[in-house]
Amino acid sequence: MTTVVIQEARARDTPGIFADMADAAPLAPPSEESAAAALEFLAEMSPDLRGAAILGPEGEVLAATEGDEDRWREDAAALFAAADEAEGVPVEQVHIATEQGEVFAIRNEGLAAVSVTDRFALASLMLFDLRSALRRLASPNFGPPGGTKSRKGED
Amino acid sequence: MPAKPHRILLDRVSVYADEAAAFMRRRRVSRRPFARLYYPHGRSADHAQDSRAGAELFVAAGRLIEVAGKKPKR
Repeated sequence: MTTVVIQEARARDTPGIFADMADAAPLAPPSEESAAAALEFLAEMSPDLRGAAILGPEGEVLAATEGDEDRWREDAAALFAAADEAEGVPVEQVHIATEQGEVFAIRNEGLAAVSVTDRFALASLMLFDLRSALRRLASPNFGPPGGTKSRKGED
Repeated sequence: MPAKPHRILLDRVSVYADEAAAFMRRRRVSRRPFARLYYPHGRSADHAQDSRAGAELFVAAGRLIEVAGKKPKR
């Protein structure tokens, strides 16, 4: 049937299409300096923020606020694993509100970010800020505000 | 004697502010913990704390809150 052929063609070609799009995963992970600058900017923008980390494509910590980097890596991986397992589908964003604080996590552009805020932080703003930070990091023209362009392998 | 126009405006603003404050107070008191997952194409799903997936999510979130520690002084 024609429909089947079209669906097959779409399935076959789709990855290629997405590889050419701007939202595809970055070719090289951003440098730790860039990630640290993005995190600093995020902390300035979000008064409710207690701590956050930006993770690379392999789940490695590119930058984190105070706290043990290994713990950030392990606990962020555990959060994403639990979230993916909930319905067997990879999640895009996570928002968990507890009595002790709120946790936000997001995947974008092949990178991931997790943040912990005080209770009643505005979820839409927090997720928007996290997504913006990851998009900026993945952008080839990324430069921290007032800083210089810096990507791993391009320095 | 009719109220002065600016008094009416101030009263109206005060009423709205009181309503907003009451809403925020109720929200703080009544809001329960939740775990919400967002999937591609805008779909989202809530997981109760007593479900298996929900319990795992709350444990993972609790660890992250522990790592983040207290809010840094600015």
